[in-house]
Amino acid sequence: MKHLALLFSFALLLAGHADAQTPRKGGTIRMTAPYGAGLSGLDMHNTPRANDDIYGKVVHRTLYNYDSDKGVPVLELAKSVAVSNNGLTHTFKLRDDVFFHNGKKMTADDVIYSFTRIMDGKRAFPAARWVRIVRGAVDVEKGQATTIEGLKKIDDFTLEMTLTDRVDPGFYFYNGNTAIYPAGEADKPEFLQKPIGLGPFKFVEHIPGSRLVAERWEKFYKPGMPYADRVVIAIMGEAPARDVAFRNKEIDLSILGPAQYVAYREDPNLKNGILEVAEVFTRHMGMNPEFKPFADKRVRQAINHAIDTDLIIKRLVKDKAYRATSWLPLTSPAYDKTRKPYAYDPEKAKKLLAEAGYKDGFEFEWTTSQNESWGLPIVEAVLPMLARVGIKVKVKQVEVNVLIDLRNKGEFQAFILSTQSGPDALGALKCFHSATPMTACNYYRFKDAEFDKLVDAAGQTDSADERNALLRKADAILYDEAPVWFFNYNKAVMAYQPWIKGLQANATELTHQYPEHIWVEESSPAK
Amino acid sequence: MKLGANILIGGALFLVAVLAGVFAPWIAHTDPVMDANLMVAEEPPSREFWFGTDAQGRDIYSRVLYGARISLTVGIFAQLVNTLIGTALGLSAGYWGGWWDDFVTGLTNLLLAIPSLIFALAIMAILGPGLTSLLIALGLTNWSFTCRLARASALSLKSQGYVQASKVLGYGDLRIMLTQLLPNMLGPLIVIGTLGMGGTILAEAALSFLGLGIRPPYPSWGSMLSEARDQITTAPWLSVFPGLAIFLTVLGLNLLGDGLRDILDPQSRSRRL
Amino acid sequence: MLAYAFRRTLQSFPTVAAVALVVFVLFSVIPGSIATSMSDDGRGAMDAEVVQRMRKELGLDDPVYVRFAKYVGNLAVLDLGTSFRSREPVSQLLAKRMWPTMQLVLAAMGFAIVIGVPLGFVAAMRPGGVIDAVSMVTAVSGLSIAKFWFGLLLMYLFALKLGWFPTFGYGGWWYLVLPAVTLGVSPLALLARTTRAAALEVTNADFVRTARSKGMSEARVVRWHVVRNVAVIVLTTLGLQFGSLMGQAVVVEKLFSWPGIGSLLVDSVFQRDIPAVQGCILLIVLFFLVVNTLVDIACAVIDPRIKYT
Repeated sequence: MKHLALLFSFALLLAGHADAQTPRKGGTIRMTAPYGAGLSGLDMHNTPRANDDIYGKVVHRTLYNYDSDKGVPVLELAKSVAVSNNGLTHTFKLRDDVFFHNGKKMTADDVIYSFTRIMDGKRAFPAARWVRIVRGAVDVEKGQATTIEGLKKIDDFTLEMTLTDRVDPGFYFYNGNTAIYPAGEADKPEFLQKPIGLGPFKFVEHIPGSRLVAERWEKFYKPGMPYADRVVIAIMGEAPARDVAFRNKEIDLSILGPAQYVAYREDPNLKNGILEVAEVFTRHMGMNPEFKPFADKRVRQAINHAIDTDLIIKRLVKDKAYRATSWLPLTSPAYDKTRKPYAYDPEKAKKLLAEAGYKDGFEFEWTTSQNESWGLPIVEAVLPMLARVGIKVKVKQVEVNVLIDLRNKGEFQAFILSTQSGPDALGALKCFHSATPMTACNYYRFKDAEFDKLVDAAGQTDSADERNALLRKADAILYDEAPVWFFNYNKAVMAYQPWIKGLQANATELTHQYPEHIWVEESSPAK
Repeated sequence: MKLGANILIGGALFLVAVLAGVFAPWIAHTDPVMDANLMVAEEPPSREFWFGTDAQGRDIYSRVLYGARISLTVGIFAQLVNTLIGTALGLSAGYWGGWWDDFVTGLTNLLLAIPSLIFALAIMAILGPGLTSLLIALGLTNWSFTCRLARASALSLKSQGYVQASKVLGYGDLRIMLTQLLPNMLGPLIVIGTLGMGGTILAEAALSFLGLGIRPPYPSWGSMLSEARDQITTAPWLSVFPGLAIFLTVLGLNLLGDGLRDILDPQSRSRRL
Repeated sequence: MLAYAFRRTLQSFPTVAAVALVVFVLFSVIPGSIATSMSDDGRGAMDAEVVQRMRKELGLDDPVYVRFAKYVGNLAVLDLGTSFRSREPVSQLLAKRMWPTMQLVLAAMGFAIVIGVPLGFVAAMRPGGVIDAVSMVTAVSGLSIAKFWFGLLLMYLFALKLGWFPTFGYGGWWYLVLPAVTLGVSPLALLARTTRAAALEVTNADFVRTARSKGMSEARVVRWHVVRNVAVIVLTTLGLQFGSLMGQAVVVEKLFSWPGIGSLLVDSVFQRDIPAVQGCILLIVLFFLVVNTLVDIACAVIDPRIKYT
């Protein structure tokens, strides 16, 4: 009898414990879109902005999703894919249980329609950048064809896609702006006001500059999901305002800047609700080799030695970053864990400068934006450090827009930015390939034959291990040649309320949460 | 307020700000740009750092002193430009009338219609950040009240006996405007000038706040406020001191202007512009 | 009266045209473009092909006179163009966001009038007294406080600490309170000072003394002459302040996630969404002119001695 009772209570205990982990159905997820300038519109094809993809992940779907645990894109709208033809042809078996918010079932026609729309050269959609990898897409873009030759519908749920290059299409089609729209619908004017998507929540309303609301799509293809009833995305670009709203329990998720990171870490009420992720962005100072001092490798290395990078990360960025040891970020499979970053050594810097012929230093102009994490404050902190080894800096502060413009045109001596360096390691390193033009992404005009060979070989191999090994070696060359000052990899920090469960540590962008996995516990004030 | 109190208090505040800027190199403790020590970043006020340190480890007290130079230079010179443009346009428009008056009035209406902050923002975006750009942007966008005042004064003064007499005597227009009309409107002009200075200082802060202010890394009160905006809840002294500096200086200018108005222009026609 | 309104409306056209011209010129020489803002602040690489096509499609590379001709031509048929950012018609964008800003500005002005005018009167009653001094300093302070800090302070005190109002958002009237007070502080200060000065001046003026000597009771004197004159001045000030308030609303709108035209304007400037910028500014200018015409008519009604040619 006693044993039975014990067993019974034990079972009850277990059951209670299990219940705590069972996602609760219902409630409202209150997210925030924290990057400036609100949502630029509701047409995902038309925007490359991370801010807009927060909404994109809620209302729309792409062929692939990003799996935060595995750190790679995985199939989402397709059940399987068969690769043939020397890695160029991918045949997708699409899911047959996916419904648009207007009730229509998704077929291969919708994928073809969406990709063709993206390639319309007259609309100049930013998403064209990704779809261009499909053979024949360029012809549509140029207006020489009306259909993409490399996209073939085999049957309603089988799609054959032929690419122009041996790449993993996952890295291209997990991007939010390659969302799949219902055939023929996206060109009706009301689509821009009331979008129809495949996402777990369907669009309800958008008050531009204030919020976007979506409610559960009952016919979502993942059983039992989404858990929550509604999602509200509040447009809140000002960090202190988010801070007050979060403390007041009016929002559930809030991206933290360095100042709030420190405050939340030290607050006993808030410190258990912080999600940290090493994101795939490399902050750096790009140097233009056409500016004479920067043409010399020793000068570039000297700069890396002259700056006390760890101190800046610790004190200015408040440890909200990881020290960069080269271009590829921490989470990359091709990242070399054994390599040490450039040591802070002003003496060595001075020696290198003297060797290069700049014993008395030199002056350069540093173009920067006002950004608190990779802009003016960083430049201001570096100024005295470079001054100590004889290098004088003239600061040129411009808007981010203008900075991009100048960088793309090569009209700079040095600039500081945060650029995506993953999850596609091959794509990231291709930017340093000598064949890549400056207008594409080789702003550093990097040229190294050994590097080119390694990257080319990495593009040819099918073995992931071999590819990573080759890229790791290429990354090491970058470290040595130092085309940039390696600053840090971003650490994204998000505060979340205790009643929010199911968040994903998305290294590509922490605010890009797939909301079907998130559930809201009873204790939330938002019902 | 007793007649003298406004001028006394306002003048004193403004004077303190000016002296702080002028004598900054002597009374500041450190160099506002180069003396940065990250090890003491964001420390609250202490015996060593009277106002605390900012995120770069720079002494805020020194930066506030040096910041007075930029903020006051912008305030004073931009207002000077405003006054010059406004007086020249308004005086001539009121005196000559006719199509020139219509044109100037139209121009003034235009300026009043476009939100001046946006106008200045656009100009700054074109010219790029920097002291000269600020002076141009703020100088070109805030002269409308001065213009209206000058025009109204010119209109009422030009029918005065002595002016008519001068005309009959053959005095040139320019001479009449400069020697007879201008001195009689100096009072209200000075008042508007003082009050306007406060406005330009605040405008500089707003522009820095929106990202298009003084060229870094030199400090201005506005850019210091802008740098500190994310740390308001975590390190309030970063914004309190530059904020207080702006507040007290603009307060001083406003009180001074009010006091001067009570003396120089008791009838104060300025509101009926 | 109607004739006057009509004439004023006609006179506004050159102003609107001039504004359109100035805005066009300004934004044709501004560096950076919508294409560069597509790089999402440099996070990703810009696709050169897309940039080129975008510039062509949006007409950014057309020579200046072509762009100007298109612009004027569109304006003539009241077509404000299509937003570069969202590809929606600009008129649609403006329609969605105009009303919230109107609400905010009107509420702010209402707050300013309700507190500022009585404050000014009280101060004028006993010039030089304690109340006068205190209220004037408070009023002057209102002009000196930066809105961002004041707004955050209000948020912190009344939303977080006291829980009386929400921190941000748009919905019922309780969302309007904090933003309106934040925006209303500087017109409040201006109104208080203007009312005080106007009331003082009027109280000492000849016609009041005449009325007093005629035997009118003190209250009637005040009510009839002073209030009327002050009302005229207050209205005129408000009218002139209107445009500047819409510009100042920018910071308040961004802070409180208020879906107004101010934040649209600033976002569009930074993203170089030129049609949106032009549309916003033209709309603001139009409203300014309409409001000022109404103010002038109202003044004429209140005080028939004011003659308009």
